[in-house]
Amino acid sequence: MSLDDVILLTGRTIDQGVALEGGKTTMENVRAAAICAFDSDDFKKLDTLVGTPVKIITEYGEVIVHSTISEEGPHPGIIFIPMGPWANQVVNPDSQSCGTPTFKGMKAKVEVVKSGKVLNALDLINTLKEA
Amino acid sequence: MAEIKLKLKKPLVFPLEAESITPDNFAGKSNDEIKKLVAYSGNEESTLGQFFNVSGKSGEKDELKIIIDGDISNVKRIGEKMTAGEIIINSDVGMHVGNEMSGGKITVNGNADDWAGAMMKGGELEINGDAGNYVGAAYRGYWKGMKNGIIKVKGKVGVESMLWADGSVPAKRFPTLICGSAGSFLGIHNNGGTIIVEGDIDRCAGADQIKGMIVVKGTAPKILPSFKKIGEVKEIELLNGEKITGKFIEYAGDHSVKKNHSVVDKKTGELNKGVNGRLYIAA
Amino acid sequence: MAIKKIKTLYDVICPFCGTLCDDVEVDIAENKVVEVRNACQIGTKKFFSSNPSEHRYETPMIRKKGKLEPASWEEAIDKAADILTKAKRPLLYGFSSTECEAQSKGVELAEMLGGILDNTASVCHGPSLLAKQDVGQPGSTLGEFKNRADLVIFWGSNPVHAHPRHLGRYSEFVRGYFRKDGRNDRTIVVVDPRNTHTAQIADLYIQVKPNEDYELLNAIRALLRGVELDVEEVSGVPMDQIKELVNTLKTCNFGVIFFGMGLTQSLSHHRNIDAAICLTRELNDHTKFLITPMRGHYNVAGANQVFSWNTGYAYSIDFSKGYPRYNPGEFSAVEVLIKNQIDASLIVASDPASNFPAASARNLFKYPLIVIDPHETPTSANADIVLPAAIAGIEAEGTAYRMDNVPLRLRKVKDAPGESISDKEILEKLIEKVKEKRGE
Repeated sequence: MSLDDVILLTGRTIDQGVALEGGKTTMENVRAAAICAFDSDDFKKLDTLVGTPVKIITEYGEVIVHSTISEEGPHPGIIFIPMGPWANQVVNPDSQSCGTPTFKGMKAKVEVVKSGKVLNALDLINTLKEA
Repeated sequence: MAEIKLKLKKPLVFPLEAESITPDNFAGKSNDEIKKLVAYSGNEESTLGQFFNVSGKSGEKDELKIIIDGDISNVKRIGEKMTAGEIIINSDVGMHVGNEMSGGKITVNGNADDWAGAMMKGGELEINGDAGNYVGAAYRGYWKGMKNGIIKVKGKVGVESMLWADGSVPAKRFPTLICGSAGSFLGIHNNGGTIIVEGDIDRCAGADQIKGMIVVKGTAPKILPSFKKIGEVKEIELLNGEKITGKFIEYAGDHSVKKNHSVVDKKTGELNKGVNGRLYIAA
Repeated sequence: MAIKKIKTLYDVICPFCGTLCDDVEVDIAENKVVEVRNACQIGTKKFFSSNPSEHRYETPMIRKKGKLEPASWEEAIDKAADILTKAKRPLLYGFSSTECEAQSKGVELAEMLGGILDNTASVCHGPSLLAKQDVGQPGSTLGEFKNRADLVIFWGSNPVHAHPRHLGRYSEFVRGYFRKDGRNDRTIVVVDPRNTHTAQIADLYIQVKPNEDYELLNAIRALLRGVELDVEEVSGVPMDQIKELVNTLKTCNFGVIFFGMGLTQSLSHHRNIDAAICLTRELNDHTKFLITPMRGHYNVAGANQVFSWNTGYAYSIDFSKGYPRYNPGEFSAVEVLIKNQIDASLIVASDPASNFPAASARNLFKYPLIVIDPHETPTSANADIVLPAAIAGIEAEGTAYRMDNVPLRLRKVKDAPGESISDKEILEKLIEKVKEKRGE
């Protein structure tokens, strides 16, 4: 199942803030930041269980994260990934020459993944190094 | 006519800052003297001769034509502050080409990076490809941008082109941009600039425009809510008196600007559409 | 069980976010943090993270045969200085999570090297600084807002998550001199595409479409000037609701807009702020109104201050010609990395590998990478040299600037573990070594 036309936002969450202070390379950080929060009605369209890994695809890249239901809804048509290395695989690096990349408001697609897993921060960054 | 040819020797590792490439600097110099002009690569001060082969013969600056070959897409500031003569670039070119130029002509037979013709004071900049963001714009923190001259871009210009353009009808200064299509925030904070777009534009054209004209011969996705539709026109008279014919819808704005002359008349409650900026979109 | 001797420190400043809470109490026993009071969840965690752990560097590390191995300070500094002096276009980035004294040394080093100097403002509130340069900024200190504001607008910011104690200390629940009844004396408005936890406790929530804040600000400004608009809705917000907001804005006694990444990191970046500042300026025709950015890192405001008083510019500075030049988009860290225009980098108290978009983070690893950081991060784990730092504000004292540009003195509450020394001392060592290598 998939969602074809959603807008991706990224930003700070308190869990992600706590996790990164506790250690950026920990599993706690994966649990806090390698997630994608869905509007509950949008999530029903995916027809899957909460926590199932999903692949987020934008023009700029793709990343696999755990799915979750947003506490800050309803926001139909919008998905949210906390700031961090996972979100940064799919954000728009273009700054329109002002220096600050466009971290928010990318068009995105979501697919429920059959295989593939959520990487931890170090492994994720290593994929960048190898590419 | 005197002519100097520059050819890039080898591909560049870092951007090269070559503000010394202007007819003003080359005028009356021998080729050896030109080779000794300063250029900067990384944190090293270097010379043009290190990067370019120089041939031809120099002369008076008004008569001088500089032709540049080789991939110079990473060479910045060519033609900075030039006052006369001509530069022809047969390649893509780096940032700040022709910035603050006040006379002469630059032709780019390729694409230009950001800040092409930034804060121009006169002369002509012709780009036969696309241009980056901030074409003819004011530099960061300046409230007065392009004062005069003309920029022609065959392809697309990026975002915030003609930022803070600063024209004046009484002083006969008409900063002008003619382009194929344009990114968002075209002519933002426009204060007397003329912009003619042959094709389409993106969102927020003429944001915070106080005076000036934006003519779009293609389509606009959305017009800012603060623009008021005036009506349909068959002919537009530009600020410099030239005319454009065709069916256009005329909008006045930006009405969100305090400094604007678009005050609301206290007696009639009517909006004074008389003096402020204009946006024309093809009907 | 032996009773540990506990030392309690009062009025400690929390070095996490720009709110810079100055009422934290920390209990220390045997050079370990055992209890933290008054701080938020994140701040508390930061104090505890200073305790020894597997993520903490205690000696300098150098990459040998592909693996980071412990090394002496002498060797690590020598190697780092070697990399930096040989580089033709080094990037010095970070500086927002350290004290002003270290930032100042960073500027000195960047100038010596003729490098590119940038701080994390370039990925967060850089656009706010750009807009400020274009149109100014009517702001004030947080105490004014606390005591006077009866209308508080959070636009594209979510303090419940990002600045957890801001609401309690300055903007929402706190009792002020003229706002004796705290929350009941204030109207809270939130503008955001998501119904955030901040929005859920607001009086008026305006759900704006992502990337369309500019149009909404534009419409509000026009309505404020008495211009009737020809449209029924703007950016997904019905005209009735916009008119209600305009009326709220005009009729308050003292209003403030706190804005965050929602404006600076979405499309139109600094133009959103430009419009928000112009709106604030124009609202002063009707009532008193101010605007303040919600700065993220606790000392990013300080980095802007220190860079400004040393070079004239707040961020994205290029020293390659020997004097400072400034142009975000040309010299900002993300752009020079995307365009592959550097040949070495020194990262101070930051984690660009995690925080930069993939297209720029990937180029960071192509060149020698030196990291000054207390903890293991995806950046430091891939570094060639890691220099272990004491955590500023916990293990080293110094100055930090709050989000409203008020300087506060950071305290030292415990000693740094192992051979860690402060960022300032590390940068001083580097400067000395670079001078030595150049025969100065």
